[in-house]
Order: sequence, then structure tokens, then C-alpha cells
Amino acid sequence: MPLWLEMQVLMLLTYAVGLGIGWLVWKRKG
Amino acid sequence: MTRHPLILILAGALATTAIGFAASIARGPAFIAALDRQADAARDRAGGNGVEISFRTEEGWLTRHATLSGGDGLSADLRGRVAKAITTVPGIGGVHWVFDGRKNVRAVTVDSHAPLHCQHDVEAILKARTIRFPEASALIDRASENLLNEVAAALRPCVGSIIAITGHTDDNGDEGANRALSRARADAVRWALIGRGIPADGLRATGKGSKEPLAGLDPADPANRRIEFRVLERAQVKPTPVDTPGPG
Repeated sequence: MPLWLEMQVLMLLTYAVGLGIGWLVWKRKG
Repeated sequence: MTRHPLILILAGALATTAIGFAASIARGPAFIAALDRQADAARDRAGGNGVEISFRTEEGWLTRHATLSGGDGLSADLRGRVAKAITTVPGIGGVHWVFDGRKNVRAVTVDSHAPLHCQHDVEAILKARTIRFPEASALIDRASENLLNEVAAALRPCVGSIIAITGHTDDNGDEGANRALSRARADAVRWALIGRGIPADGLRATGKGSKEPLAGLDPADPANRRIEFRVLERAQVKPTPVDTPGPG
């Protein structure tokens, strides 16, 4: 697997997790 | 904010991939060069003179997965040791050998030398101690956590080969339930190993129930409750579908 593809997958996963956490925080604040 | 949130999220994802790509282009060569140096040192320590290490894919991209070639005079055993030494370099994703331009996928990484050693190491660990479960439960006893750490460490050099985890029970109780319990326990061990960094795709869990008691033991003996590990030399090759000519 090329390094750039590994990097993309990792970055996108991190982005998705960040979005998820942000969404949860947003929902809690109401 | 009038824009649709989905557009913003997609724009963010796009920006993220762009940053990821730029970062891999900017930092990748230095990172791979460092891996290359460490891999060369590991190869020299293992005695793999003449083995060439490449960190490029067939398409020419940089990769953490090393491709080994050359070293024609080396024995299969030494090739296995060289591959094993290189895989221990932190950051390297895996090692493949290439012979005459043909990729021998993972076969030498898990050369006959390495798996057998792993199996012996695991057997040695489990000789005096066993992975414990409460009666009629597939939850691993907390007291076995350290033992599992040791088993995972012993199996790590065999990553790439198939590791069969087999659960066994004594013959008390219903055989169907015993088989299900032995399978559930093997599964629990599999998940525990995955949690300790052993890749899931190489771990196979099966339950034999009380069908295979230990040699010389009464089938009802509680000592038959056990988990066995078997390290297969290499990933089993799935048969390639072949078109068969139809009638007439």
C-alpha cells in the first residue's frame, strides 16, 4: 500500500472521529 | 450559516485528503529514507549480504512495505531470518520477497523457520500455565491477562501466517453446548489477541468440544479444557476458479 494512501486513510479516519466527537458535543450543548 | 452542512463536511474531507497527500509527499521521502537505513542495518546484522531492500510499490510510490530481492546464494532459512529482522524495524509495515520479478507474497516473511519458532514459543509459555475461564463461561479470567500478553508477544513474529486457535472442553455436559463453549472461548482468545495487535485476518478460531481429549487423559478430566495454538507456515492459497468447458 503506498504511503500516501495510508496517510489519506488515517487522516480521513481522524477527520471522521473528530466530526463525530464534535457532533456529540454540539448535541449535548443543545 | 446558509451553506448546507453536508457540503461543508465534504469540503473538510477534501481539504483533509489534500493535506494528507501533501504531507506524505513532503515528509514521506525523509521518513522512508530513515526506514531504509534501519532496514539496511537490520539486514546486515542478520547476515543478509547481497539482499536489496526497496521501499517502492510496483507503481513507483513510496511505501512502508519493503520488497526484498537478490541474495541468490542465501538459504531459505537465512532469507527468513533477514525478513524477520527487517520486520522488527519500527514503522515497517511488512516484507515481501521478489524472485525473478514474481512476488512471493508473504511466503518468506513467514518462512518455515519463523512460524515453527513461534509455535514452540507459545507452547513453552502454555506448558506450565493455561488461559483460564470461569466455569461454563467464555469470559477470559483477569488472571490470564498477563499470559495473553506473553502469547501475543510470542506470536508477533509470525504475523502473516495463519494462526489457528482451537478450544477444547472435557466431555461433561451436552456435546453441542461444549462445542459452542469451546468455540466461544477460542473466539474470546482471538479477540484478546486482536486487542493486543495481532492482525485479525490471520487468526482462525474453532471449537472442537470434547472430541479431541489430550492423549492419555480421561475425556472427563478437567485438564482437557484448554486452548491450543497452531501456527501454519503460510496463508493457505485459495484455489483459483477455473473455467471448465461445458458439454458439447
